[in-house]
Amino acid sequence: MFEGLRARLQKVQGALEKNIAGAASPQGSDIPQLESTTDTGKDPTLLTRVRVLITDREFLISEKDIEEPLFELEMILLENDVALPVADEILRRVKEELTGKRRRIGESVDEIVISALRESLITVLGQGFDLIAYIQGHDRPVKILFTGVNGTGKTTTVAKVASYLKKNGCTAVIGAGDTFRAGALEQIDVHAERIGIKVIQHQAGADPSAVLFDAVQYAQAHRIDAVLADTAGRFHNRANLMNQLEKIKRVMKPDLVVYVDEAVAGNDAVVRAHEFDKTVGADAVVLTKADMDSRGGAAISIAHTIGKPVMFLGVGQGYDDIIPFSPERVIDELLGAGS
Amino acid sequence: MLDRLGTSLKDALKKLAGKTVVDRAAVEELVKDLQRALIQADVNVKMVMALSQSIKTRSLDEQPPKGMTVREHVLRIVYQELVKLVGSTGEAKLEPQIILMAGLQGSGKTTTTAKLARYFQRKGMRVGVICADTFRPGAFDQLNTLCMRINVQVYGNPDEKDALKIVREGLPSMSGNEVILIDTQGRHALEGELIQEIIDIQKIASARHRWLVIDAALGQQAAEQARRFHDAISIDGVIITKMDGTAKGGGALSAVAETASGIVFIGSGETIDDLERFEPDGFISRLLGMGDLKALVERAEETMAGREVDVNAMMRGKFSLRDMYQQLEAVNRMGPLKQIMSMLPLGNMEIPQDAYDVTSTKMQRYRIIMDSMTGPELDDPSLMGSSRIHRIAMGAGASPEEVRELLRYYKMMKKALKGVRGGQGKMNMQRMLKKFGGGM
Repeated sequence: MFEGLRARLQKVQGALEKNIAGAASPQGSDIPQLESTTDTGKDPTLLTRVRVLITDREFLISEKDIEEPLFELEMILLENDVALPVADEILRRVKEELTGKRRRIGESVDEIVISALRESLITVLGQGFDLIAYIQGHDRPVKILFTGVNGTGKTTTVAKVASYLKKNGCTAVIGAGDTFRAGALEQIDVHAERIGIKVIQHQAGADPSAVLFDAVQYAQAHRIDAVLADTAGRFHNRANLMNQLEKIKRVMKPDLVVYVDEAVAGNDAVVRAHEFDKTVGADAVVLTKADMDSRGGAAISIAHTIGKPVMFLGVGQGYDDIIPFSPERVIDELLGAGS
Repeated sequence: MLDRLGTSLKDALKKLAGKTVVDRAAVEELVKDLQRALIQADVNVKMVMALSQSIKTRSLDEQPPKGMTVREHVLRIVYQELVKLVGSTGEAKLEPQIILMAGLQGSGKTTTTAKLARYFQRKGMRVGVICADTFRPGAFDQLNTLCMRINVQVYGNPDEKDALKIVREGLPSMSGNEVILIDTQGRHALEGELIQEIIDIQKIASARHRWLVIDAALGQQAAEQARRFHDAISIDGVIITKMDGTAKGGGALSAVAETASGIVFIGSGETIDDLERFEPDGFISRLLGMGDLKALVERAEETMAGREVDVNAMMRGKFSLRDMYQQLEAVNRMGPLKQIMSMLPLGNMEIPQDAYDVTSTKMQRYRIIMDSMTGPELDDPSLMGSSRIHRIAMGAGASPEEVRELLRYYKMMKKALKGVRGGQGKMNMQRMLKKFGGGM
């Protein structure tokens, strides 16, 4: 994940540097009508730039200098599945960060560009989320509700998280809240049996709220650390199904609502993340299918839209194929600079 | 958001109205809006850039044909390019055949397999399904449950781990069926072993069709994935699933381009009948978030005033109460519904007799009831619960029973319109509907 984006980002860094470096050599031979003030943040005129260069041995970066590389940066973000509104927002920040900035001659352009990009990505991706620490720091059982649209991998994720918790010394019980999809109960049964975790389930077509309520009761009675509540996939534009999810939330009162989406999703990721967040909230995000050579744009889009941390990445079909998400590492990887 | 894009596209088009020469600035604005719309629909960025470039050059370089206004000229080019982008409908003949389903994890292969079984069954074919997904727990149960509901034979063995063996043994046992569908496990392009597995399955089955199932939400990744699948088993058709969400399905277009195939079906719901043949015009409308572009092209010289009935949306079954309201208004001016329907070249379409039995007084009542509804209710009748119905009834001076009756009538109309799609003489009918919808 992210490899493609990284390669392209490094290329655009080069372009930004070149353009900014190019701006350092003043070509304007206009008679300088000296202006007394240079206000950063605004687009500096050529005259101001020349003046600053001559008097202060610095130069200002203008919007025009970086227009072309920024366009390219936008294309790169888009090609890597960052949703359009989110890409716009990142660009706006980078632009704000760069435009009108003074740079001393000889100072590395690299740093300015990287720090601008890093700033905006850090703001967007936020912090990671340590589930184990969360469980240890809260009253048990910690109730975790998994939501998302159809086919993003909720059930598989529930199984993986259960296995992850077990490995880290936490006990867990699964609530089989997907009572709708044919074969869903069988699927979670098999998963649970393989990883050795108890599943609470009713028959197909049962009320998911009731199932999950029972799961919570069971966890309380048996002093279990975490309840992992699976739900049926649903589209955010189905009023009735979303109401059902609200009811589930009312009944089981989850400590954490985890929104599951796939890392390969495109622009729609933003729309549905927003809708789910609006209806039942979301405290953390799990991105599945990150092993599909995906470009990671969805992580950026979703994190930006709902402002919640990405907790795990799903990276394969095995139960161990789940890794905690660390934004700093990803950003370092993206920008190719560990510094 | 996309609706707004649709509007800005319309605004950009408006600027071209009444011009005698092609205005470069206006074209550029139009292209820019188009780009944004397409990128938000997940169409491949490179494809979008190529498309907008060719629209720009063609609009500016080509002379408008005699008698065609500038706007018509540009619109025609936009439409032609979009049709090229979307591609043609993939082939799905009603003949004895084996169809192999392929796709990423969670794209909806199993559900689609069951829907396809239903589709061919309804067309009078004998259908059998082989479950070659030996990996995902519950896969066989899922397929089996879905197929049992429609009495379709399923071959599979949840305890067998060798998919090749299942296909090898399953095919002879399916010999009594005309159409054999093979469902496979989800895999992605980087899983070498699984790609090899599907190549081997194809060797055993020599399926007539290899269809790639693509989630409508799939982003820029689609091209790459499709290419690898194509290299492996030479994909000859694409099915887009989950079109009932808000995703626009643009990613699937990259898959179509990579595989040089066409979109065959579109899945748009959770029940087994929610599968439609692909129809380019409707798809384009959805991509752009604006109504019927083709009709726009056809009547480009008219100014775009007022709200029009979105015929294409209606055809897809996206028929809201608001559309019905406008229809009722139009019908009021034109005479009873039956008379209008009989003027349309509908062929063998069946509209339930009950739909005609609504008298004009009743229509009047319906309109009054709808006047008491809120905007969101008109757009999305699924919101309607008993308390809303009660409120509407109070507001309209009607009984809740009347409101329910109206909703039933709406559902019937919606269903009837959904049934119309894809019939003969469709274009003519669209035009006719458009006319009486838009008030001529």
